[in-house]
Amino acid sequence: MTWITGAASEPAPAAGALSDVEMWRHEAGRLGWATGCTPVVAVVAVAAVAVLAAGDGAGRPQVSLVLLTGLEALLPLAVAMAATSVVATDRARELHLSLPTRYATVLGRRLALLAGATAVVAVVFTGVLWAAGLWSGPPVAASPLLWAPATAWLGALAVFVALLTRSLLLATTAAGGVWLAHQLFASGFAAHAWARPLYLFPVSRLDAYPGWMTDRLLLTATIVPFAVGVVILLRRPERMLTEEDV
Amino acid sequence: MTGVRATLAVCRYEFRMQIRRRSLWITIALVAGALAAGRFGMGPRYAPAPPGAPAREVMTRWAFLFSVILPIAFGMALADRLLRDRRLRTAELLASLPPGPAGRLTGTFLGGVAATGAPALAAMLVAAGYETVRRGDLTMIPWGLAAFAAVLAPALVFVAGYALVCPLVLTAPLFRVLFVGYWFWGNVLLPATLPTLTGSLLSPIGSYAASWLLGTPVLYAGIPGPLPVLRPEPTGSAAAASIALLVVAGLVPLLAVGLLRGRRRTA
Amino acid sequence: MDIAITGLRRSFGRVTALRGVDLTVRGGMFGLLGGNGAGKTTLMRIMAGVVAPGSGQVRVGGYDMTTRSGRRDVQRRLGYVPQDLGFYPDLSPREFLDYVALLKGLDDVTARRRQVGELLDMVGLADVAGRRMKGFSGGMRRRVGIAQALLGDPALLIVDEPTAGLDPQERIRFRTLLAGLAGQRTVLLSTHIVEDIAQTCHDTAVLAAGRVVYTGSVTDLTRTAEGATWQMTTTGAPPTDGVVVSAVTREGGTQYRVISQARPSPDATSVAPTLEDGYVALMRRHTPAPAV
Repeated sequence: MTWITGAASEPAPAAGALSDVEMWRHEAGRLGWATGCTPVVAVVAVAAVAVLAAGDGAGRPQVSLVLLTGLEALLPLAVAMAATSVVATDRARELHLSLPTRYATVLGRRLALLAGATAVVAVVFTGVLWAAGLWSGPPVAASPLLWAPATAWLGALAVFVALLTRSLLLATTAAGGVWLAHQLFASGFAAHAWARPLYLFPVSRLDAYPGWMTDRLLLTATIVPFAVGVVILLRRPERMLTEEDV
Repeated sequence: MTGVRATLAVCRYEFRMQIRRRSLWITIALVAGALAAGRFGMGPRYAPAPPGAPAREVMTRWAFLFSVILPIAFGMALADRLLRDRRLRTAELLASLPPGPAGRLTGTFLGGVAATGAPALAAMLVAAGYETVRRGDLTMIPWGLAAFAAVLAPALVFVAGYALVCPLVLTAPLFRVLFVGYWFWGNVLLPATLPTLTGSLLSPIGSYAASWLLGTPVLYAGIPGPLPVLRPEPTGSAAAASIALLVVAGLVPLLAVGLLRGRRRTA
Repeated sequence: MDIAITGLRRSFGRVTALRGVDLTVRGGMFGLLGGNGAGKTTLMRIMAGVVAPGSGQVRVGGYDMTTRSGRRDVQRRLGYVPQDLGFYPDLSPREFLDYVALLKGLDDVTARRRQVGELLDMVGLADVAGRRMKGFSGGMRRRVGIAQALLGDPALLIVDEPTAGLDPQERIRFRTLLAGLAGQRTVLLSTHIVEDIAQTCHDTAVLAAGRVVYTGSVTDLTRTAEGATWQMTTTGAPPTDGVVVSAVTREGGTQYRVISQARPSPDATSVAPTLEDGYVALMRRHTPAPAV
């Protein structure tokens, strides 16, 4: 055991490309299958509902709308809830805080993996719908505007609330409540010019009104305050040692 | 008698632990506050009752305003209560004590329901107090309590049964996603879009009770859709049937888990 | 790695955990003793860079722990075993160690695998290296904990309550392991088990209510109870003057070991103190007498 000398004073060099790959593999494991598969579960659930609707006599346009709603609405909700779990639960948090790799980096990798899985699933799902002639959304090239801004916005809100309050209850209710409010009060958002860009589901609920794509970009810009908040909160990661009241 | 006493003890301490969760109070306060503040822009259904409206109408409108989103908080709050024993490593200790799994489950359910309902009841009482002052009608408070009991409480019992049990199988995060999805599908989505229970006796949003209290159909009560037998005219007896059905349906998952755990213990 | 702390204070909301700690540690194995709630874990977390200091000065190996960069520099030379080391139950010890090694920046695959293998061997877990940690006993988990702390050959090892809940054999094994690691590195051992300090440390500090009430050698701490340690056997009530350290029921009555400045009874005999006696005598001095 030649290296256990106790005399080591120089820290290990920064991780290189090879260990980066291994690190991502490890973080994928930490993300867990339940969280990592959330986007898949979401689209499978949507597909199942569409099949049920078709079996119940729903026409092609209706089935297509169900599938589109799944991509625009259910996927963001599922991913936001999964992101909350990523941030709120970690068995070895204290150990992580004592390691030279910033905990923010660790969480960032896990969230990036979730985002990557979401993107892959959404793109594949879009492709399948398009190939099956069930796509009724915007041009396929612009299809990420359907799901990406809402997913990022709802996810950022959930992560921000989870970090701010250290409460899974508050974070999940915030994400769930906002999602439901957007579903219930679509007309309220549509009625005000200032509220429309903030609306999460303009295609499935507001019939992709003219200018909705620009509004999607505006919605994406409103993620910035959440992101800044998350960064500020992660600069004091020891706050996370005090868990939510269980 | 010992079993009943033990169940009551579990109930009492579950209530204490749950009611001390600051996040529960904050969540309910934020959701109720946001709904109250936003009700003017949410359409005529959710708008305040007109001046001179009877206390019954005023407070029922508050109850169904809250029932739209507040049960989401109930579900989120209760989703980890049975998993918690495992997480906090108290499951083994509790299993070694005389009360059987059925008693513990009943106590946890009753205590959890009571504690989770307390902030919602407080929100209703605040609304009733506000209306009492604003409209000068003291009957707002009893009608507030009645509207809570008829509209919100059955929703809480129904949600609690599933929120306690389903995460044992689905995991809490997955349950939370499905629960929000379910709430939208089973309460708001119109049957014309998809086969759904919206507007039926089994809609926990409280459409039948609210319709009966208001004297006019609201929240799609009785709307044509699948299972017509569950979609009678919204009358007083239909409201009572809806409340009873929701409570019984909420107890079904508990009964199933209680039986399963009891059998596992004796095996 | 030397540690120098002056006037360290740290509060969490309304609770003050540390109320002006002054402490110097100069390498080797150093023990930190104190009762529950004395502030040991907060102090350990501050030295591990997990928690930022409130006010005062904390320098570890010359690095200023009040700055973010200082904490990061220390963490690159640190091995830490928290009191409640959470595990990922779905991982095997080998996978867990590999993960921590990567987070510590051990880039070279061959060297990393060699270190992981050797450490698993050293802590006696080589046979179960590929098994998931789900069913591991407390002792096995502690051993994984110490193995992960040793990754990267840290110059400073901080171990918080490592032997709590272990059986006597496992405790002795663990103590010996720790003592063997304190060659050229600093090992900071926090515990409320006096015996662990007595068997492994030359120097120690005692924390009470967020303050350091003693720093010095273990021998000097033992001497605190010299002339104040008594043994007596009685069939009557236990002695009220002083602190009863032990009570053993025998045929002729109950034999008490008592810490008291005055002879607790005429037939009490003065005996040589142990470290535990010294600790009790010290704590007696620094703990207000209970209200009657």
